[in-house]
Amino acid sequence: MITPYTALLESLSRQRGVRASLIVSEGDGLVVDANLRFGQDGDPVAALAASLYRKARLSARAARLGAVGFLQLDAERGRICAVGGRNDLVIVVVAESTANVGLIRVELLKALESLE
Amino acid sequence: MIIATVEPWIEAPLKQYVDDARARLALLLHPSGQVLAQAGFTRAVDVMTACALAAAVHATAGELGRQLEGRAFRGLHHSGVEKQLHLAAIETARGPYICLTVFDQESSLGLVRLYFADLCRDLAAAAPPLATLRPPALAADFERDLNQNLASLFGRG
Repeated sequence: MITPYTALLESLSRQRGVRASLIVSEGDGLVVDANLRFGQDGDPVAALAASLYRKARLSARAARLGAVGFLQLDAERGRICAVGGRNDLVIVVVAESTANVGLIRVELLKALESLE
Repeated sequence: MIIATVEPWIEAPLKQYVDDARARLALLLHPSGQVLAQAGFTRAVDVMTACALAAAVHATAGELGRQLEGRAFRGLHHSGVEKQLHLAAIETARGPYICLTVFDQESSLGLVRLYFADLCRDLAAAAPPLATLRPPALAADFERDLNQNLASLFGRG
């Protein structure tokens, strides 16, 4: 099924090392749209990444640091990158630990611009 | 958060669920409205009311689902200004139960659904099978059983 987010998610997933890309609702923690590999379950990633992004946003606000620009979580076997805008939507990328974060960041920020 | 259960095998899975999903209130009940466990409630009368309403909503939604697509709806979500509720059935060896979860902005529907799936799995694994089939809830016994369960949950057994 083609949605208004299909092209955006495909361009993110084309980046080397990207395993999955999702657009999630920050408030609900639900998948709005996703580009996943066969067998991947986007629901847990969406719920937890949305929660993580929300906590980061609240923490930044509490510390009077302003809005969150880019969130990156490095783990043993990969990383999660997320950006969110003025609306409730957060773009999430799950990538290999060897993926180029700089490129992913640029693509995420471009995607966010087109989303807004 | 205070968690009280009528049957001990429910306690650990329910506590894990409430902690993980960051739920404000949780109730586990029979589809008849008999309470089995509660988390976060402080008054028996609130539990009694919530159980009656949850059982009624579950029955209504189930019947609507059967009318619309031939099978009962599995879950229900209502979103309020500050609080939201999630109501869904759990299948165990002891029969179906209903779980009512109330959460706020500390959690999200996605998180509640995620950990609810774990709760279903954990309760199904923990439930000891019934030696005999549960008799249907009869009006004559309902109030007695309900009062027994409430007394057990609120320490007046």
